[in-house]
Amino acid sequence: MRRFQVLILLFLVLVGCRNQSANNQSKKIAVIVSTLNNPWFVFLAQTAAAKAHSLGYETRIFDSQNNTALETDHFENAIASGYKAILLNPTDANGSVVNVNRAKAAGIPVFCMDREVNSANAATSQILSDSYSGSVDVGKYFVQAMHKKGKYAELLGLVSDNNTWNRSKGFHSVVDYYPGLKMVAQQGAEFDENKAMEVMESILQAHPDIEAVFCGNDAMALGAYQALISAGKAGKVKVFGFDGAADVVQSIKDGKIAATGMQFPQVMAQTAAIYADEYFKGKRDFPRKIPVSVELVTQKNVTNYIAFGKKN
Amino acid sequence: MNKKLKYGIWLVLLVIVAYNSVYFKKLDSMKALKAGNFDAVAYANNYLRKMLPAISNNAINIDQLLNGLKLAPQKTFDTYSKALDIGSIRFFLVRGKAKIINIDDSDVYLLTDGSHSSIKIATEYIFGNAVRDASGLIHINDFSNTSDLNNISAETNKIIRQQILPSFKAQAKKGDDIEFFGAVEMKSSHPDIDDVEIIPVSLNIIH
Repeated sequence: MRRFQVLILLFLVLVGCRNQSANNQSKKIAVIVSTLNNPWFVFLAQTAAAKAHSLGYETRIFDSQNNTALETDHFENAIASGYKAILLNPTDANGSVVNVNRAKAAGIPVFCMDREVNSANAATSQILSDSYSGSVDVGKYFVQAMHKKGKYAELLGLVSDNNTWNRSKGFHSVVDYYPGLKMVAQQGAEFDENKAMEVMESILQAHPDIEAVFCGNDAMALGAYQALISAGKAGKVKVFGFDGAADVVQSIKDGKIAATGMQFPQVMAQTAAIYADEYFKGKRDFPRKIPVSVELVTQKNVTNYIAFGKKN
Repeated sequence: MNKKLKYGIWLVLLVIVAYNSVYFKKLDSMKALKAGNFDAVAYANNYLRKMLPAISNNAINIDQLLNGLKLAPQKTFDTYSKALDIGSIRFFLVRGKAKIINIDDSDVYLLTDGSHSSIKIATEYIFGNAVRDASGLIHINDFSNTSDLNNISAETNKIIRQQILPSFKAQAKKGDDIEFFGAVEMKSSHPDIDDVEIIPVSLNIIH
């Protein structure tokens, strides 16, 4: 009788495990990312997909190519194809709201990664870099490195992305306290390296006496640095970035770029995948927004960091 | 009914309806309403003047903090640090007594009662979230708008810069003994106990 009870218990445990596994396998998670034309977003999407896969879910990455209409197609495709959750890196803070609401109406939770949508209740949760606070730290270091005086330029990212303005506002919340620091140019370069190089070339022609440039991401910092090399000003104009890309981490070590704000895409991507898993298990009380801290990387502490994160 | 009286009644009714249908408000007040009615200045004042002093006894003594970070960093972070963000940046609410050993444009350098000399009070760069986050009194889910949280930090720092520091900077000199209460930022991944900067909430020169 006792052996029989043990066998029944064992059978129930095995059935339970098989059902749990089958349950996860039957659920698919879509990872919809703004672009795969930037290593930062490739890392974000692949990490989210890998984490969801490791939790037992079938995953697929959709590339929106910075096009909100294409993102809409991906949402329609994901809803029609039976995806049960979406891990989203939106193309546009306002334009993407309608897509998130469409998924919500279909009963599909959406977890935003890194970029936010301008709606308090559309996404189940938004896991975002604390760009404002990170830029406050970059701004403080900028003031110290410039000894509170000098002319500088700013390269902005995509005007439709909240991160662009959070970074700019955080930076200016510090730098604008110092009247000796004068911004002589503020131009958009769409987070793009080539565009940043072109914009920086024209800024240098109009303002050859600038001493620093603050860039809203590392791709633009690298583009700005290329323009400085062409103009024979590398090393004379301090370059500040934001992201923590591999080339910039190396450039800080080499003394070419002054500093960057290190974001942690791995933390955001994994948290989003874990939240989706918890949602399937019944959790509903997610924080609407959860910020992920950004750390200042300079020549003093760069050895603690690697691309998109920290050394273990 | 007299025609004049009839028209008169209609006219009065029309004026009453028209008067109650149209409201005039200042454009500034409407803009403020649209932007959200959170008053960061009032919140920051209340936070610094009432909320923080009420829990000042919860602050860890600076010598106890530095000894803890040296001997049992993880336990010290788990027990005493707070943060709104996910990640390695954490904040401690601290208090203590110390002697001023040096003063420069950005900081006042201290030798604590416990003989730690790697401590300084920030007097120039009062930025960031240390004071906002170190108490654990402010919760992210209480604010639907991220900019409100950013504004609490900005306004809190502004009050410290404009109202708390000037008198201290004017009076403090090398050799003075002081009492302080404030906040410290520290990375849990790489705690740097050789360069500890305190953002002050209150400062008293004892003698």
